[in-house]
Amino acid sequence: MFRDILKKGRRLAGLGSLVAALTVTAPAMAQDKEPIVFGGSIPLSGVFAFAGIHLHAGLTDYTSWINSQGGINGHPVEYVMEDTAYEVDRSVAAFKKISGSSSPATYYGDSTGFMKAIASELNSMGTTLMSGASFATALTDNEQYPYQFIPGPSYSQMFGIILEYIASQGEGGDMPNVAFVYSDTEFGKDPIENGKARAAELGIEVVEEIVTKPGSVDVSAEVLKLRRVRPDYVVFHGYVLSPINEFMVQMRQMGLDTQFMGTFWSSDKLIIDKMGADADGYMGVMPYNYYDSEESGPMLDALRAQAEKSDPDAGYRPTGYIQGWFNAMVWTEVIKRTLDAGKELNADNMAAALASIEDWDTGGIIGIPVTVKDMSFPVGRIWRVNAEAGRYEPVSDWIHLD
Amino acid sequence: MRIGDAKQTYEADEAIWTSNTQKLWFGLLLLILLLFPFMADSYLLYLGCLVGIAVISTTGLNILTGFTGLISLGQAGFMGVGAYTVAWLSLNTGLPFPVTLLLAGLMAAAVGILVGLPSLRVKGLYLAIATLAASVFLHFIFAEWESVTGGMGGLSLEPAHLFGWTFQSDFRMYFIIVPLAVLMVFAARNVLRTRVGRAFIAIRDRDISAEILGINLLRYKLMSFALSSFYAGVAGGLFAYFYRVVTPESFPLSMSIFYLAAVIVGGMGNLLGGILGAAFMTLVPEALKLLTAALTPFYPNAPVFMSPMLEIIFGALIVGFLIFEPHGLAEIWHRIRRFFRLWPFRN
Repeated sequence: MFRDILKKGRRLAGLGSLVAALTVTAPAMAQDKEPIVFGGSIPLSGVFAFAGIHLHAGLTDYTSWINSQGGINGHPVEYVMEDTAYEVDRSVAAFKKISGSSSPATYYGDSTGFMKAIASELNSMGTTLMSGASFATALTDNEQYPYQFIPGPSYSQMFGIILEYIASQGEGGDMPNVAFVYSDTEFGKDPIENGKARAAELGIEVVEEIVTKPGSVDVSAEVLKLRRVRPDYVVFHGYVLSPINEFMVQMRQMGLDTQFMGTFWSSDKLIIDKMGADADGYMGVMPYNYYDSEESGPMLDALRAQAEKSDPDAGYRPTGYIQGWFNAMVWTEVIKRTLDAGKELNADNMAAALASIEDWDTGGIIGIPVTVKDMSFPVGRIWRVNAEAGRYEPVSDWIHLD
Repeated sequence: MRIGDAKQTYEADEAIWTSNTQKLWFGLLLLILLLFPFMADSYLLYLGCLVGIAVISTTGLNILTGFTGLISLGQAGFMGVGAYTVAWLSLNTGLPFPVTLLLAGLMAAAVGILVGLPSLRVKGLYLAIATLAASVFLHFIFAEWESVTGGMGGLSLEPAHLFGWTFQSDFRMYFIIVPLAVLMVFAARNVLRTRVGRAFIAIRDRDISAEILGINLLRYKLMSFALSSFYAGVAGGLFAYFYRVVTPESFPLSMSIFYLAAVIVGGMGNLLGGILGAAFMTLVPEALKLLTAALTPFYPNAPVFMSPMLEIIFGALIVGFLIFEPHGLAEIWHRIRRFFRLWPFRN
């Protein structure tokens, strides 16, 4: 019986090897060039899975789309990922596994913790360029993180964009004041000091700072603090939904006419879906056009077509999907620039190619041509919830920070 | 075939090695551990290092929870103390790693003694809550004492070094982590066969009886906390050198639960159980990914639906062990050994 099991095992292993060999070699045979690998530590389970599933879909669909366009300079693209459950040690394990087996040119990291933990190894490898879910300000430090970039503005830059918008509302009259409400996490505290400094430069008074646990529910005491100072704007950061909804509902019940704003991860449709009419007027900074916005462009149209093709029943695609797609778009651009210059595809050359991006037309994903600064794309736009229409609508022009 | 394990002297009862066969198997294990990094790829090497760190921390917790009967949810906090000590010393003094790791252990031990003070009055779930509070308190210090800990951004440190050698790669770190893990498990085994170890077990079995027998509860409970925290501090120090970045979020409460689960799944009050539990908790989630890899060629969307399933399977495995083998993996291991010892006879 044991022999039978062994025999079956060998047969299965043989079949598996054949399937794996065909899967790997088929595109290469078809396009006759070495495949380029996009790697990824993706949180398909765990606390960040709500976004990870869409990031994964964005990366998968972009890979299908770019291969349908002939790949990158004739090289087919493979996307190799592993689930991480949003745990740093498992993200690092996935990186080691994928790096060892597939030599990825670019890699998607699922958290700031992972991006920091892998930095020394990434720097010593010198083969891979990395970006991901993190918009952490620390990653704009080129000395420490020369091979990591942010696929949009950093959290500090998002605050900069929000504060520029607020300042623009005060032109010709009283400058509005603002309160910062953020979570007691590395994510939450990231932009606060830079935000306060920028507010001071713009003449905006920060009248209150409130720190809460992410996902807090009982915020009555904090709401009372805000009632005392009556801020014109409250900027949330470091949350996905709660306690933003609690603050908004309670402050509106108190008759305050405060306006509420948030950063990337708290500016998706989830707020509209969960809050309904109470979400009306909430504003967020977003570097990309929303899937259901009225904007268009060749790449945005391609994204919508590919999303429709891959899953016709999915309907709206969250911002995580667009973020995943945009990451892969930047990787493609960087790889293309490197290959076009006749250079070897290594981290130094790709980082140099990234730094050379100037006035790049993203085909409608971002509404204006973008320039890379400090390994980030410091651009965004303020969008406001129209609860009746069930979507975000732009209320500012695109703001590109210098 | 061995048919008995009769011990006729106290020395024989205390001996670490009970037979030459045991020494042979242990020698073989050491040889495998020595050759492993030369044969493993970077992924397996990383997992090997991770298991090594987990073994040290789990062994420490096993001394406290498994042998002394004091439940702790502060293991991640103690590891954090060790990690920050190493990071701070490495950045500000440039001391070599044996010194920083030793100081990390001692610092964690000192904190462990403080945290252990409530254990003189409370035990069981109450002590678990007291250690949980300590863990929250330590997390607060890691996050807020910016001049020392770097605040929420944490500290990045240089690789471990000794006599001009730097230990930057996983390959080199393996030769720090795994020998230390072996040494510390061995040291734990040694401590547990002394008066101190017997005092721990007596306190676990019935603390009032232990006191009547002349065991000073204050001294031995705090000693257990100190020893356990020392192990956690060294494990935290290795964690810091391994990832070369330490932030408050590196040591969440879930990490303490992870180690407690490793002790329970492996087998409480059994050093081998701690080792097996640490390996199980670290490696099984990785091994389960093979299922996804096997399905992906047939169902490209397999990662999306399999990933949450794997978490459920992992949880079910833990529950299964607790139901069908409450004594943990160590007992399963002993049963396998007994089977081969008696082979080819069944009974």
